[in-house]
Amino acid sequence: MRPGNRDNREESVAVIGMNDAPTRPASIQAQTTAAQRRASEPAQPPCVLLVDDIPANLRVLYESLNGRDYRLLVANGGAQALEIAQRSRPDLMLLDIMMPDMDGFEVCRRLKQDAGTADVAVIFLSALDEAADKIHGLELGAVDYVTKPFHPEEVAARVEAHCKILRLERELGQRNRQLELVRDRILHSMVEAVVGLDAVGRVSFVNPAAERLFGLAAEHLLTRDLSDWEPTALRETAQRVLAERRELSLDEVALPRPDGSTLPVELRAAPIADAADTAGVVLVLRDLSERRRVEAKLHRTSDELHRSHRELQAAQMQLVQAAKLESVGRLAAGVAHEVKNPLAIVQLGLDYLEQVASFDDVSAQVLADMQQALSRADTVVRGLLDFSRERDLDLKPCAVNEAIQNSLQLVRHELTQRNIAVRTSLAEAVPERPFDIDKLQQVFLNLFMNAMHAMERDGTLSIRSSFTALAGNELGPHARDAGFLPSDRVIRVAIEDTGPGIDPEDLGRLFDPYFTTKRQGEGTGLGLSVTRNIVTLHGGSIDLENRPEGGARALLLFHPEFARAEALSRPSEATLRARTARLRSANR
Amino acid sequence: MSKKRILLVDDEPALTRMLRLNLEQTGRFEVREENRGTNALRAAREFQPDLIFLDVMMPDIGGDEVAEQLKQDPALSKIKYAFLTAIVTKRETGTGAAEISGETFLAKPVKRDELLAVVDELLDE
Ligand SMILES: Nc1ncnc2c1ncn2[C@@H]1O[C@H](COP(=O)(O)OP(=O)(O)O)[C@@H](O)[C@H]1O
Ligand SMILES: [Mg+2]
Repeated sequence: MRPGNRDNREESVAVIGMNDAPTRPASIQAQTTAAQRRASEPAQPPCVLLVDDIPANLRVLYESLNGRDYRLLVANGGAQALEIAQRSRPDLMLLDIMMPDMDGFEVCRRLKQDAGTADVAVIFLSALDEAADKIHGLELGAVDYVTKPFHPEEVAARVEAHCKILRLERELGQRNRQLELVRDRILHSMVEAVVGLDAVGRVSFVNPAAERLFGLAAEHLLTRDLSDWEPTALRETAQRVLAERRELSLDEVALPRPDGSTLPVELRAAPIADAADTAGVVLVLRDLSERRRVEAKLHRTSDELHRSHRELQAAQMQLVQAAKLESVGRLAAGVAHEVKNPLAIVQLGLDYLEQVASFDDVSAQVLADMQQALSRADTVVRGLLDFSRERDLDLKPCAVNEAIQNSLQLVRHELTQRNIAVRTSLAEAVPERPFDIDKLQQVFLNLFMNAMHAMERDGTLSIRSSFTALAGNELGPHARDAGFLPSDRVIRVAIEDTGPGIDPEDLGRLFDPYFTTKRQGEGTGLGLSVTRNIVTLHGGSIDLENRPEGGARALLLFHPEFARAEALSRPSEATLRARTARLRSANR
Repeated sequence: MSKKRILLVDDEPALTRMLRLNLEQTGRFEVREENRGTNALRAAREFQPDLIFLDVMMPDIGGDEVAEQLKQDPALSKIKYAFLTAIVTKRETGTGAAEISGETFLAKPVKRDELLAVVDELLDE
């Protein structure tokens, strides 16, 4: 080593050229690569610059640190030290104070002035052992102080300690940067707009969501200050948070945008205090328009639900109404029937008297008046019966499928709520024929509701319609009564549920008016009797049975043709049967 | 020419009486009343009527059932019968008797003239 040669800058700087021990640089080199292999550690060993004008001192310093994991540089004066520091950016500098060209204090001052070298940690070396100098050095930004004559171990220990501090600081810095990156990434990916305001209300940061929300690029937003904010509520909230240092929020403000539109926005504003305790506000704004849209949609959906609920209620009212009419009709039929016998007796009695006796004019007039009164009474009673019986059907050609769909619509919501699946298989080939579609819908509604009530929760309601040749084993008692024959071409509707089915003991009475197994208030027991009545009026039949696989099945049959005249003027055998059955049940 | 025999089956005695009086008054018919549906068949066997009027709604047995039994009985199956009942209306039958699903119906209340016309018609066939 030729530390004495102060002019030979290359030699004094280059580690390789230093000293006459050629093995050292190699070992440093080896250590470097070893250090590089340690992935988590900083790749480079710490670089230490030794500065002293006296070569012997340099040598002592060099020797005390050599062989450890450092990259060592040397400088023999203040000016050279600054030069090397600028070029090589050492981590640490051991700096002699008393040097002829430039003293260590001055070197330190200049180092700290230059942003490129300000973070070089300086340890002063000096024979001076006075507190004043130490303080002066530390004031200049030095981290430590070693007094001459120094012991190699002390130098090594201090350097090592400071390198450790440096490394830790560096790691800390790196971690901070990582945290900042994470924070930036979070801010970046947030859907909420984030705007940071400093203590005087100037925008200090914005995230991309804020750019989108305000419709302005970051560079525009960053020029804003508090007085620029619109609307007033937003500005005032930010001001209050700055003043009162507490969190505030606004449920909804209308945020004006450059295009003249406004956005509904929710605002939260919180005070922030960073390390230096400079106050600020962070504004978090959330665009509510999507939520408003969803809410509007929910409203619409709930409106629809309400409507369908109302429709169902209306339909149920209709059913109840029909059931009431049915029971009024039943009563009327009973009364009419009871009145007709006495009417017949009086009629025939009068007729007889007119035959067998001769009357004067007054008596003849009395008889004539009585005849007329009788005929009037008969008309009234007949009206009562007509009302209770075949009230006119409003017949129009339609397919059963349409009535099924309409009725299903009315109970769909309740079925969904009860977790009952609906399986429909409605054959397109089912022909149209005259039906009173309102009444037919009552039929299906009654049957769907019964199935639904039977299943209570969970299960499957399946509805199949077809136009087919009637299988002999599908002829129920009512179908037979109504005159259906095997292999007739029929419109067939099967409604099946997965409920508990029907108690075999009840099978014969299901269609009896007022027969119900439901609790008081839950069932009128008129549903099926009204249903059969309507079906019968249409010339069809309905039978209910248990399915072998469990649950109940309602089977409806209709002829593909239906003559209105037949339906109205001459009652069918089934109708007459139904009438007598009704009257009998009323008498019971 | 012997008088035609008519059996009246109805649970209402006053009605069968009125019917009988009107029929007998013509001098052309021999009439028997039966007010219990369950006795109808025996009465028919004993009386051997040419025509039976049957009420439908009777407390013990329905007129429709009586008709079924008549048809089943070889000795009685030839006898003509008609339902005189309130379960059909004049709107459905029109004036006089009407054929409804293979049976003859006469709606209550019936007038004397109407009754006699129907009887003649039924006995004529
Ligand atoms: N799908 C079905 N499964 C089981 N039982 C049924 C079904 N449909 C009807 N029933 C039985 O028939 C009875 C009468 O039904 P209905 O005439 O509609 O009157 P309500 O429904 O008011 O009881 C019901 O109480 C119930 O016992
Ligand atoms: Mg019901």
